[in-house]
Amino acid sequence: MRRVVVALLAIAVVAVWWITAPSTLSVSDLPELSPDPVAGERIFWAGGCASCHATPVDGKRARGEDKLILGGGMELPSPYGVFRVPNISPHADGIGDWSMTDFVNAMQRGVSPGGRHYYPSFPYTSYAKAPASDFIHLKAYLDTLPAIAGRTDDHSLGFPWSIRRGIGAWKRLYLDPAPVTTSGAADPLIKHGRQLVEGLGHCGECHTARDSFGGLQTDQWLAGAPNLEGEGRIPDITPTGENIGSWSDKDIAYYLESGFTPEFDTVGGTMVAVQENMAHLTPEDRQAIAAYLKSL
Amino acid sequence: MSYDPIAPAKGKLQTMSTATTLRATFLAISLAFASLAVAGDTPQHERHELMEGVGEAAKVVGGMLKGEIEYDNAAAMESLQTWADAAAEFGGLFPEGSETGEDTEAAPAIWEDRSGFDAALAAWTEAVDAAIAANPATLEDAKPVVGAAFGKCKDCHDTYRISD
Repeated sequence: MRRVVVALLAIAVVAVWWITAPSTLSVSDLPELSPDPVAGERIFWAGGCASCHATPVDGKRARGEDKLILGGGMELPSPYGVFRVPNISPHADGIGDWSMTDFVNAMQRGVSPGGRHYYPSFPYTSYAKAPASDFIHLKAYLDTLPAIAGRTDDHSLGFPWSIRRGIGAWKRLYLDPAPVTTSGAADPLIKHGRQLVEGLGHCGECHTARDSFGGLQTDQWLAGAPNLEGEGRIPDITPTGENIGSWSDKDIAYYLESGFTPEFDTVGGTMVAVQENMAHLTPEDRQAIAAYLKSL
Repeated sequence: MSYDPIAPAKGKLQTMSTATTLRATFLAISLAFASLAVAGDTPQHERHELMEGVGEAAKVVGGMLKGEIEYDNAAAMESLQTWADAAAEFGGLFPEGSETGEDTEAAPAIWEDRSGFDAALAAWTEAVDAAIAANPATLEDAKPVVGAAFGKCKDCHDTYRISD
């Protein structure tokens, strides 16, 4: 009897170990193309990297050129504990020693070069939906930015969130490179917008409500959510929502470009940094985002 | 036609309810005026009204920048003058004691960092004055100078206004 129990326990341990193991890409999985830092700059703004990774200045979010100082250090409060944003500058304390495969595995599989899971406060579940080629260009761009020394402290999370290995099981539930929606699949503008909104832009990370395990409730896609970082709610941005439901495609694109609503009020809260990122994209990118949102 | 004992009573009830409604309406209107008169004296209300005017002017000149309204120099200049007038008055409407109340969207940062707030307001004033001095004849001329003034709206709101 004892042997059976021991055997069952051993099987359970192996099963859990297997379920929670990191799954990674290898060099042969990456598309063959030459890294282009100019293309990468657009990916950098579309992905909103600076909004979290730029080192705060005097305790406030970085603005202007300071957004390119990616030493990390920002703290993200959440119901799970405090996440501390790491250094992603091209320094040995950041991503300076990473290979291209290391980088794409971090961005699209949420796995560190050392084989550890990243917490999904880093939105790799969204980035997984973007083409891998985007991240090859992005790495080339990041490598042109200032190298900053210094590592940030680890996150301070409550149990059971503090067990990093458990993220492996979480990823099996919530890490899926497939698109969330299929509306307007034949329209190239909507398809382009889908890649930006569901992928790089990671809009769903704030605008979609989460379930009790912190996974996005995709049946309520972009329909608004409690603000995980503080008070209030993040707006519903679907065409049937009361927030931007009455806005035209042009209104949405203009808001992302200028930061002004159709009433000529200014963008507010955490969306300010997002809008400033979107302002760096091309007019076609912003039109695509608008077309996608209107197609929901 | 059969006799309906309820009909006259029903008519009377309707008369009474009309009178009651009228009385309630008068009361509501006078109360509204009274509260407006009181609210009009507070800096919270004054600065709110001033910004409402700025917003209305922004819709005109902003609509032109956005391409929804045809560019018109006179109308654009009128909007900019509304901004300049508001900018001159705005800074005096944040005295100690008006930090909260009346759903004010003024952020505590205004009082914690008064010089920063004054500088942000001065930057807006300067940009508006520059746009007026440029007196842009065409939309292409207006875009950079008016756009700069719009940018200062955003900069100040970002730090000194509570966002909902």
